[in-house]
Amino acid sequence: MGRIMVMGTSSGAGKTTIAALLCRHFALQGLRVAPFKASNLSLNSFVTSKGEEIGVSQAYQAWACGREPEGDMNPILLKPKGGGVCQIVLDGRPYIDVGRGGKTVERERLMGAVIAAYQRLMERNDVVVIEGSGSPAEINLRREDIANMATAEMAQAPVVLVGDIERGGVFAAIHGTYSLLEPRHRQLVKAYLINRFRGDASILGEGIRRLTDLTGLPCLGVMPFANLRFPSEDSLDLARGQGKGMSGADVRQGWLDNLDRLYWTSREHIDYGKIDRIALG
Amino acid sequence: MDEHWSKVISELQNFRPGPNRECEYYHCHYDGQDCSLCFCPLYPCLDPRLGGMVVSKRGTEVWSCESCYWNHRGEVAKELAKRIAPTATRPPRSELERAKKEVEALHPVSAMPIMILGATSGAGKSLLVAALCRLFSDMGFNVAPFKSQNMSLNSMVTPQGGEISRAQALQAVAARTEPDHHMNPILLKPKKDDVSQVIVEGKPYRDMDVKTYYGEFTLGEGTEIVKRAWEFLKKTRDVVVIEGAGSPAEINILDRDIANMKAAEIAQAPCLLVVNMEWGGAFAYAYGTVDLLPPEKRRMIKGIILNNMHGDASCLDEGIKELESRLGIPVLGVVPHVEHFLPDEDSQDLAKEKGSGELRVGVIMLPRIANFTDLDALALEGVKVVYVKEVRSLEGVDAVIIPGTKNTVADLRWLHEKGLFEAIRSLRGKVPILGICGGYQMLGKEVIDLNGVEGDEGASWEGLGLLDVTTNFEFYEKRTTQVTGRLADGSGEVRGYEIHMGQSESRESPLFYLKENGSEKAEGAVSPDGMVMGSYVHGLFDLPAFRSAFLSKIPHRESRDECPQDYDRSVEEGLDALASVVGSSLDMNRLLTILREGL
Repeated sequence: MGRIMVMGTSSGAGKTTIAALLCRHFALQGLRVAPFKASNLSLNSFVTSKGEEIGVSQAYQAWACGREPEGDMNPILLKPKGGGVCQIVLDGRPYIDVGRGGKTVERERLMGAVIAAYQRLMERNDVVVIEGSGSPAEINLRREDIANMATAEMAQAPVVLVGDIERGGVFAAIHGTYSLLEPRHRQLVKAYLINRFRGDASILGEGIRRLTDLTGLPCLGVMPFANLRFPSEDSLDLARGQGKGMSGADVRQGWLDNLDRLYWTSREHIDYGKIDRIALG
Repeated sequence: MDEHWSKVISELQNFRPGPNRECEYYHCHYDGQDCSLCFCPLYPCLDPRLGGMVVSKRGTEVWSCESCYWNHRGEVAKELAKRIAPTATRPPRSELERAKKEVEALHPVSAMPIMILGATSGAGKSLLVAALCRLFSDMGFNVAPFKSQNMSLNSMVTPQGGEISRAQALQAVAARTEPDHHMNPILLKPKKDDVSQVIVEGKPYRDMDVKTYYGEFTLGEGTEIVKRAWEFLKKTRDVVVIEGAGSPAEINILDRDIANMKAAEIAQAPCLLVVNMEWGGAFAYAYGTVDLLPPEKRRMIKGIILNNMHGDASCLDEGIKELESRLGIPVLGVVPHVEHFLPDEDSQDLAKEKGSGELRVGVIMLPRIANFTDLDALALEGVKVVYVKEVRSLEGVDAVIIPGTKNTVADLRWLHEKGLFEAIRSLRGKVPILGICGGYQMLGKEVIDLNGVEGDEGASWEGLGLLDVTTNFEFYEKRTTQVTGRLADGSGEVRGYEIHMGQSESRESPLFYLKENGSEKAEGAVSPDGMVMGSYVHGLFDLPAFRSAFLSKIPHRESRDECPQDYDRSVEEGLDALASVVGSSLDMNRLLTILREGL
């Protein structure tokens, strides 16, 4: 059974896109692939054919795998309702409202759902591509973690760290994230990837060598900047009203076409052979 | 007879603060110097920080303070004059020494530097520097901002005619001082791909690509330029708040980067690292940034600031404790997210729509858009500024603005590619259309660049043809100047600055009359129906008159209906509000100790 987990050094580092590329990559090899994200914080959800509510990016990743979305792909969905209150959608159904003066929910109950969903997916698939949430190095939230190292540990999944170079400080972000992990978690991290680069990547050579020396992690590649928008996740598009996210009749097909183009581009920049070895052993 | 002291008596009795530009020796120390104590009452002070012995023409050793700026700083001269009485005979040395010491405690001989580094760009460095400038100024210090190297297309012109980044200009306002080029001695204005125009000490120097800049420039000339600027600020200020650029931990260029640790080293500045909390991963960014620095640089980091926190900061306590103990560096505070109305610097912020009014002003988002801070003032009028990249975004706008650009020719081509060229032309007469600087050049009939100053190929390009104006890029030459004047229709004042290559010849009525050498010069152009306007003046919306005149051209808009707000005043208020939040979020006592102790 193959598995691989994509974590980011911040939100917006490009986890969702990189995970979608990996989904596509394995699917094109004829493998049965499923995306998985233990917990999503989003108001943008999708409803599966069985009526389960999941985060919309897992739906897109499912299509990238050439299949229909399932509830197990995203067992926990947190929908902020305002005023500090959050609706928890568990296994695709509204479960409870938590937050400000209201109820709380036991972490074990949530983790239990994550484990069960993940196991069901593993039974039915050759590879599961797991996406983390935010940064795994929020040292103030260690005990509450579900979607990052807790999931990686549960799945014993090898982890790829994605750093966003657009804002600068990417070497520090990767080194810092790796260093702040607990040792038993650190050993699950197998490689890093630099995302959203503009310009001539040869100027990064020395930095990559130094970072690899420091962490012992190989670099999977430097991904050029690309704008693969997950249509309804893009708050900018939402603000501008409907129908402006993508041209063409079928938004989903348009997105998949873009993903395919990006995948073939990415083959020139990312070492997929190494990814196969990490994920499939 | 003490001839020197008698001169001192007379200058103390007729104390005349400020520079004496009439003097044939002006400026014997530095431009802008205070001349009230031309004959220094402390002479010869024998303080090795202020001067040294030289051999005179007669062959004797004398004390020279040619390189001393201290008593030529207005506030120092004033404080010295307060403490030294014009007594008939020279006071004893001990008395003079005491006066000197007291004034030094207020205004040190060498400025105390403090540097703000960011873990990323967009960490909030610029505004934090502005807030600290304001806070130190509130404490009575003479403060200046300093950023050795800035990459930005938002520049402005100093009173001396030098071009610097708009961010340092705003920080100068926060410090309650005039902007000058020492505050930003190197400005990189991206031109295309990897090439930037390099502005040195306020003047265009030459175009360089990334490899030349880091390969040849930074370690040689670049370092000398930074040192020069720092030496000047050090001698003329009490406190200098230095801003880094991007992240100091870019290990691929660590030894060639002069904007971060190198600048800190030159100024011997204790550093504070700022991390943006908004994107997550802040602890990792902070830890990684410090840990990637070589040990001798790591020791210069004296504090960490967690910036832009949304929500309750108390949940961070555990993380902060762990970070502090792992790095041995204190976290000085958590600054909450602040909604502010201050000019934008980072083009990343462009995508945000500004303002909330019903009127929508479409701003053409040129790929090389420059000086988009011009538009900030429009939001004061309750106007919604929308950025236009495609034809369909132009639908239903009430006015169109074509802003400045770093490359008129290339962006004109882009207008064609996007179909915006025709779309803008089709709005002629229906909504007001304004071009600023490069946008003004585009509105004309023709842009002539036979020598290829703008583009690579020398040619002549067709403009939008909405104004009877021709622009010629004949020479690699740039006009940078501050301007004031009035609207041609007599409805009020305008103030701003010009920064452009190329000269325009207009056969339309002018938009403004600008003051020049005691007379008035026509500037800009307005079409016969009054609906198309163009001007080189950046900042033209800052004063209310032109804002109101422009918006009144919008059909059905009642003119001058609201009480217009003063842009300068709202910037002042914004800076005060920001400083107050920063001051109450940080451990200011600790910060002051860091400042006073230095490295």
